[in-house]
Amino acid sequence: MLDTQKVGSVMIVGGGITGMQAALDLADSGYYVYLVERSGAIGGAMAQLDKTFPTNDCSM
Amino acid sequence: MTLSELAGISGDVGDFQVTVKEHPRYVDMDKCIACGECAAKCPKKVDSEYDAATGKRKAIYVKYAQAVPLKYQIDADNCIRFKKAGACGFCEKVCPAGAINFDDTEKIHQINVGAVILSPGFESFDPSAAGVWGYGRYPNVVTAMQFERYLSASGPTEGHLVRPSDGKEITKVAFLQCVGSRDENKCGNAYCSSVCCMYAIKEAVMAKDHVPGLRTSIFMMDMRTHGKDFDRYYQRAKDESGVRFVRCRVHGVEPEGESGDLRLHYINEEGRQVEEYFDLVVLSVGLQIPDHIKALADLTGVRLTNDRFAATSDFSPVSTSKKGIFTCGAFAGPKDIPQSVMEGSAAAAAVADVLAPARGQLSQEKTFPQERDVVNEEEKIGVFVCHCGSNIAGVVDVEAVADYAQTLPGVVHTERNLFSCSQDTQEQMVQTIKSKGLNRVVVAACTPRTHEPLFRETLKAAGLNEYLVEMANIRNQNSWVHSADPKSATAKAKDLVRMAVAKVARQISLQPISVPIIQKGLVIGGGIAGMAAALNMAEQGFEVHLVEKTESLGGNAVYLGHTWSGESIQDRAKKLIDQVQKNERIIIHKGFEVRQAEGFVGNFSTTIATRDGLTKTIEHGVGVVATGGRALRPKEYGYGRIPNVLTALEFDRLFKLKEQHAVKAKTVVFIQCVGSREGDRMYCSKVCCTHSVQSAIDLKQEDASRMVYILYRDMRTYGQRETLYKKARELGVIFINYETHGKPTVEVEHKQVNVGVWDHVLHRPLRIKADMVVLATAIVANPDAEKLNKIYKVSIDGDGFFQEAHAKLRPVDFATDGLFVAGLAHYPKPVEESVAQALAASGRAATLLSRSAVSLDAVKAEPDLRYCDGCALCIDVCPYHAIELVEVEADEAGQPHRYIKVNKAQCKGCGLCQGTCPKRGVVVQGFTMEQISSQIEAALAI
Amino acid sequence: MSFEPKIIAFCCNWCSYAAADLAGTARMQYPANVRIIRVMCSGMVHPEFITKALGQGADGVMVLG
Repeated sequence: MLDTQKVGSVMIVGGGITGMQAALDLADSGYYVYLVERSGAIGGAMAQLDKTFPTNDCSM
Repeated sequence: MTLSELAGISGDVGDFQVTVKEHPRYVDMDKCIACGECAAKCPKKVDSEYDAATGKRKAIYVKYAQAVPLKYQIDADNCIRFKKAGACGFCEKVCPAGAINFDDTEKIHQINVGAVILSPGFESFDPSAAGVWGYGRYPNVVTAMQFERYLSASGPTEGHLVRPSDGKEITKVAFLQCVGSRDENKCGNAYCSSVCCMYAIKEAVMAKDHVPGLRTSIFMMDMRTHGKDFDRYYQRAKDESGVRFVRCRVHGVEPEGESGDLRLHYINEEGRQVEEYFDLVVLSVGLQIPDHIKALADLTGVRLTNDRFAATSDFSPVSTSKKGIFTCGAFAGPKDIPQSVMEGSAAAAAVADVLAPARGQLSQEKTFPQERDVVNEEEKIGVFVCHCGSNIAGVVDVEAVADYAQTLPGVVHTERNLFSCSQDTQEQMVQTIKSKGLNRVVVAACTPRTHEPLFRETLKAAGLNEYLVEMANIRNQNSWVHSADPKSATAKAKDLVRMAVAKVARQISLQPISVPIIQKGLVIGGGIAGMAAALNMAEQGFEVHLVEKTESLGGNAVYLGHTWSGESIQDRAKKLIDQVQKNERIIIHKGFEVRQAEGFVGNFSTTIATRDGLTKTIEHGVGVVATGGRALRPKEYGYGRIPNVLTALEFDRLFKLKEQHAVKAKTVVFIQCVGSREGDRMYCSKVCCTHSVQSAIDLKQEDASRMVYILYRDMRTYGQRETLYKKARELGVIFINYETHGKPTVEVEHKQVNVGVWDHVLHRPLRIKADMVVLATAIVANPDAEKLNKIYKVSIDGDGFFQEAHAKLRPVDFATDGLFVAGLAHYPKPVEESVAQALAASGRAATLLSRSAVSLDAVKAEPDLRYCDGCALCIDVCPYHAIELVEVEADEAGQPHRYIKVNKAQCKGCGLCQGTCPKRGVVVQGFTMEQISSQIEAALAI
Repeated sequence: MSFEPKIIAFCCNWCSYAAADLAGTARMQYPANVRIIRVMCSGMVHPEFITKALGQGADGVMVLG
């Protein structure tokens, strides 16, 4: 296959912190991103946390 | 795309056909304004998944208060309407936006993409099936996620720690570690979950903050706080917060009669059987891959390890077994937040590597009409008052607010909208701006934090400068918080509109700043991390300069044997060196060191030089610092004095060369944490436990009759490395725990090396006659870091490692834009984490390199040369080093004149300069002294 | 008539202003005496603003960031 036939879009399955980071970086680099999330909102497990280790920063 | 799942995939890298199944939400996302009326009326309560079943939600709900998208959804499994046709339907009746759609159906989407990233995450281990911990039977046994929700101010008890069974205040908590991890009997998860030690300590410390005098105990086998700054937190938890750590595995939890208290039996460190009572037991549950993720792997054809995690190579940690399908986060092994964020960027970089030719093919820019010049126009302000359904209009007398706005100076038009943000209102607003010739706009609605970007677009569509709009926050900060006092809320709404009108009248057109970007990268350091970063950037199509201080590439890799999973580091490093040398876009500068640098994001200029003084200057848009680390030369355990005491790297070499001392050694003792986790070096070097365990396995496999001892403090074979630890024990390697107050001793007596240590199982001192003693020495920072710290103004931490911008969310970025860090220069780490961080650095760099210019917000500081006298007070307070002092020629009076200059590319518009300047010599556009003063005046006018 | 103080609050866009928005989302109730002025950082608040607010009749000034 010729390189020029490649599709410039990406699908990311899972909208937790890692999927969101990948989505942002790809979108910022000029790719069209589909972010597919199983639940009703993105955020994943990190959004459930109160504070984070070791800085005690708010997780939200 | 929410409520959506992958249903099918075909095709190949560069051209996949993906089928996505979107489940019905039963709420129209375009119409829902998240006012919450529906949930308030919904009669059906359900356990909240978000609160890990500690709290309740309704059958129509948002996942959590800050959810994105902030749109309600109906849980059809629990909704009364879906159980009985025609029943209930309250939500539909009360929804002011008409967003409820009970007839919503499942949709199937066919999507064509070039690559796929799987980041499905994990699930917490469910301890109810195993029975032994009493979870599900005794209400006061909770999981760590549930405890997290109890601690949270947004949780079911608003952060008050009370017992689920009787609401009694908690005074004594036990955390049981490794529930669902490192345990094949009760759960089948042999691996270590890598995060539970950290969250347990954090929760114990936070809980103590919540309840003064609370007693917390953590029951653990090893404390695995191996990440950056983790050991310091552990020490503080022990020494300052008074969290108790008990080294043992508790196998059962029993109730104490009807009281709700819980009884733990365990064997303490003195070997005695002890019984202790607690109010609450928290189970530190591990991470695992649930069946639906396993199904996703099967569907996509991605190979999994025995532990059900995605199989990857240590040298390509985000590539799955299937070409064009990548992974990041806990799917490829249990990991914490920073590592997950890093892998997110790394996966983006890996995707960009294969899709580089198609970059920019599908992304597009919007176009707007020509902007109208309003400088010489008289103010013509339009005020749009939003009802937000009943969210604002239900409390505030919006009609009175609009009538009042009409009387304000400069206001020529007012109107009210049911929803100012809706598509049709937007279009109508554009028309109104044009037909009435408005040149300033106030939208009295919700918060600018979410909606200002939308209204800026509206202005642009109407041919106005996007900065000529101001929002009056009459919902979040008014109608919602004063709903019981409509009269005051209406008065406040008028004040807020008056303030916004006063401010916008003084607003001028601003142009976003465009900073050109030199689309070239610079990588400092030619080790594994530096090479991986350079190669990825080059594969993405960018020119890269790779600067290496020595005469050869490879860094520490030349000393290392194999990764934890057994891949040969030598072979892979050679391949990497070869690829880097052959790549036309990589320009290698061996024997060069960075001497000097200037510039800022997109526009750096770095001077490099050889020892003989040969210099070159490189212009580049971004930089990656990968200067590595080195092994400590130890000063203890007789190293340097006793010939048979070696460092791990020295031993590796002898063992590989079959040197006779190594071959003949019948008793080998490994001593861990030599130089790590004590004194000035209060950090874990992360790789040494695994390294020693691997060496011990090699020794045992070569000759099973050898006696191999590992003297350790905590065995940190985290993640799937745990299998190595298990294997070593099965092979008969003897593990002996020691504490810093009873460190091992190494002495020579009649040419015999004796190692002394306290045996915690036999409770007596042990003397080992060793043929060879191997010291697992610390990884220390490269002293060159200090030079780069000065040259690029990038910070280093107390241990000499580079400091990232944010420990969790920006683990590869420096606080200085355009510079990134990777590998050992950041913190000790194994190969696959170095490679992941290198790819992440490249991925982050590519977000800048992929464009010829970046557009920045126009809210920036600007000197006002009428008043600035060059006193330079602002230079010291600017956190971004964006201000410099400029001297101009002497004026007619012979006085040299000085003033400040702001580099807008570096300025973030925080206004510390404006707040500091005693002479009004610097202003932040959009938040000028005049504007804020006018707001104060307007606020207090009545 | 009871005393109704007027309070000016300078809130940082990135933290306390966001917190005030969130208080709304959570429907927390508080007296309507405060007028919030959004700034890009609490460090932007010039001492002059505080004296000005008090001079113009504010009964209290809060700088939150």
